[in-house]
Amino acid sequence: MKPALASLYQAVDLRQPIPPLLIGERTNANGSKLFRERLLADDYQGCLQIGLVQEAGGAQVLDLCAAYAGRDELHDMTELVTLFARSVKLPLMIDSTTPEVIEACLKLYPGRCIVNSVNLEDGGRTLRRVCALLKKYGAAVVALTINERGMAMRAEDKVATARRIHDIAVGEFGLRPSDLLFDALTFTVGAGDVTLRDAAVQTLDAIREIKAALPGVGTVLGVSNISFGLSPASRRVLNSVFLHEAVEAGLDAAIIDAAKVIPLARIQAADRVVCLDLLYDRGEGQAQEPLMRFIDHFKAAAPAGAADVPAAGFESAEKAVYAQIVDGSKDGLEDNLTMLLQRLTPLAVINQLLVPAMRHVGELFGRGELLLPFVLQSAEVMKKAVSWLEPLMEKGEVRQQTRVLLATVQGDVHDIGKNLVDIILSNNGFKVINLGIKVPAETIIAEARAHQVDVIGLSGLLVKSALVMRDSLAQYRAAGLTQPILLGGAALTPRFVAESCVPEYGAPVVYCPDAFAGLKAVRAHEEGRLVSTVWSATGTAAALRPGTRGAEIARDNPVPAPPFLGARLVESVDPALVLPYVNLQALFRGRWGYRRAKLSAAEYEQLVAEKVQPIYDGLARRAVEEGLIRPKVAYGYFRCFSEGDALHVRDGADTHVFSFPRQAESPHLCIADYFKSAEEGGDVAGFFVVSIGEAIDREAHALYEANRYHDYLMLHGFGVEVTDALAEYWHAVMRRELGIAGCEPPDQVGYVTQGYQGSRFGFGYPACPDLEAHRPVFSMLRPERIGVTLSETMQMVPEQTTSAIIAHHPQAKYFAV
Amino acid sequence: MKMICVNCGYIYDPEKGDPLNGIAPGVAFEALPDGWVCPLCYAGKGAFDPLD
Repeated sequence: MKPALASLYQAVDLRQPIPPLLIGERTNANGSKLFRERLLADDYQGCLQIGLVQEAGGAQVLDLCAAYAGRDELHDMTELVTLFARSVKLPLMIDSTTPEVIEACLKLYPGRCIVNSVNLEDGGRTLRRVCALLKKYGAAVVALTINERGMAMRAEDKVATARRIHDIAVGEFGLRPSDLLFDALTFTVGAGDVTLRDAAVQTLDAIREIKAALPGVGTVLGVSNISFGLSPASRRVLNSVFLHEAVEAGLDAAIIDAAKVIPLARIQAADRVVCLDLLYDRGEGQAQEPLMRFIDHFKAAAPAGAADVPAAGFESAEKAVYAQIVDGSKDGLEDNLTMLLQRLTPLAVINQLLVPAMRHVGELFGRGELLLPFVLQSAEVMKKAVSWLEPLMEKGEVRQQTRVLLATVQGDVHDIGKNLVDIILSNNGFKVINLGIKVPAETIIAEARAHQVDVIGLSGLLVKSALVMRDSLAQYRAAGLTQPILLGGAALTPRFVAESCVPEYGAPVVYCPDAFAGLKAVRAHEEGRLVSTVWSATGTAAALRPGTRGAEIARDNPVPAPPFLGARLVESVDPALVLPYVNLQALFRGRWGYRRAKLSAAEYEQLVAEKVQPIYDGLARRAVEEGLIRPKVAYGYFRCFSEGDALHVRDGADTHVFSFPRQAESPHLCIADYFKSAEEGGDVAGFFVVSIGEAIDREAHALYEANRYHDYLMLHGFGVEVTDALAEYWHAVMRRELGIAGCEPPDQVGYVTQGYQGSRFGFGYPACPDLEAHRPVFSMLRPERIGVTLSETMQMVPEQTTSAIIAHHPQAKYFAV
Repeated sequence: MKMICVNCGYIYDPEKGDPLNGIAPGVAFEALPDGWVCPLCYAGKGAFDPLD
């Protein structure tokens, strides 16, 4: 069996076809200042970030060490191992010498890891304890050549120590030799210590001899120890040369910052000679010691700068920027970009590095490995990088970009969907002309011509918007537009687009369920293979139609007594009463995009507990304490009677007639059916307009303008669901006032499925799509007094407002016409 | 496995099926027809997320 390590996600062979196996070293409290600072701040997520950067930088295994004075290592390591096991694809190296910590981690880790490390310092007592654990949990181990006298300095001593450890581990405990990685220890040749002048030679010799003397075992080194005390730039070169020599000697694995390894071929001959002289302590006949020559050589090279050192810097900057986009991290972005500009033009950085990184992000999203909020964080980094690079472009250096026009159609004020498409497209290298909301077809035609766009994207949330899209297509065709048109919005279905929209236009019309479908469509257009949406009914689906089936509407239900007739205002509702009605599942998974995707139930629970719930709690606190939401209500009860599909509503001396549509197919439902006719004695209807105010709209808009995409999505989604919660809450209040609150739902799911008496039907939604009904509703309730107005297209302003008619009939439930 | 609609929170429970859409009890989510939509908010199958 091949010796291998494994994480939840992948297996990694301990013996790489091209050695060495690269073990990332930055997630170590003793080796990385940044990691230590984050650990000391209990910032485990920040620690994870460092691990993810290592992963992106080419590491194949991650060394994880939280042993630090004053910290509870057991607690830190169990937290970190849990977090890393879930989020990092690489197998872990558990870096601890404490058996309790090692056992806790081995128990937790859902794969096969390697322990770093054991030694013979105490004569074998701890070694034996750990070996028993290794055997029990089936883990590999790093063994340091340290014995009772301390760290072995000479090759023969290193080999003898390794042999003793081998005999205990393999002989007494039955571990496989291939699961042992011996670390012959690296000491610096950079400190000028005479006793260490041949330290590199002793280590390299020991690697050769251990491999020869103990068949099947592996070797590992903490490579960068070799250059302690030298300048950072020269260290990278020396480390890389030493690594090469060690691999030649038979080294199997290296603990090193993989992103900082320079391929030998890229190291200039002169640099290499100086390094080799230092490592092998040679240079007979030279005036200076090898160390002094090394220091002088790199001192001389440094200021001129250019030649070698940036080679290392450039490569790591390239990887770092790519990783920053994928990880959504902005720290030090400008520094890395500055480094890249020594070799590449700003345009080349965008096209060769940034755009491919975003493409990778899109692929991860497509595979369910990255959730929408994280994609937005990547887009923020992309935006920041491009904004920083664009002013540096030469005149004439123009980005060749496919141009996409985006608009929310006439009569619709909803812009979150369109703006997400803008974010995704513009940060994947396309030029977006975003015309905003309520855009008339004439404007779209004129702007499409003026900007010579390649693709047009239309968006709209309302049921009516789907019809507007359909009806405007003929106008676009008549105007001579030939660009493909992408359609997106909650009320659209692929069937509607294929059957009702495609035939109206002369070029492809494509249904896009989300922003990434839009991205895919634009790319398909670039490649000349974009085609219209087709719909083929499969199975019984074609016959399916959602909505209540069968059942006559009972006529003998009692009419409740309303507490008052006419309209009332509630100018201040306590937000704390509203928040319990927030549908957290719809908010987290739907509005925010924190879906379960590829996560296990336990992993998802943890993501929610550690990341998502805290975002909600923060917004909820602001809602209550800072007035982020100011819930207000205009509502009332009115005498009414039905007549066919119409409902006649009496408001004092006035009578308003609401004409409701009826389903074209069985069971042919219509809202009017839930109310008694005049002959049946008439009925009572409730109406409300509820709003949480405009603060969220305003702040969300500012976040979008500031390119804070992630926070924009969070705040907007919060506003939408809190508005819904306010409607849910006020509906419950009205049921109580009507005396029909006898069977209230026990939980959130009960509210979703309307486990209460009656129903509320929102204007503009599937059961009554016509927004014209807002005219009589506003006449009756006069919600202008709580700051809600009607736009010329009958939509309510501010956006976070909703309206409904309340039916008390026990059979009244949601349906669509 | 139960599946939740990320748009509205409706839960599809295979043990109960979806009477509103004529889906009998015992039909696994994966076995629902492609054109099946959430009985409450009409979101497609892609809008569903595993619940347990």
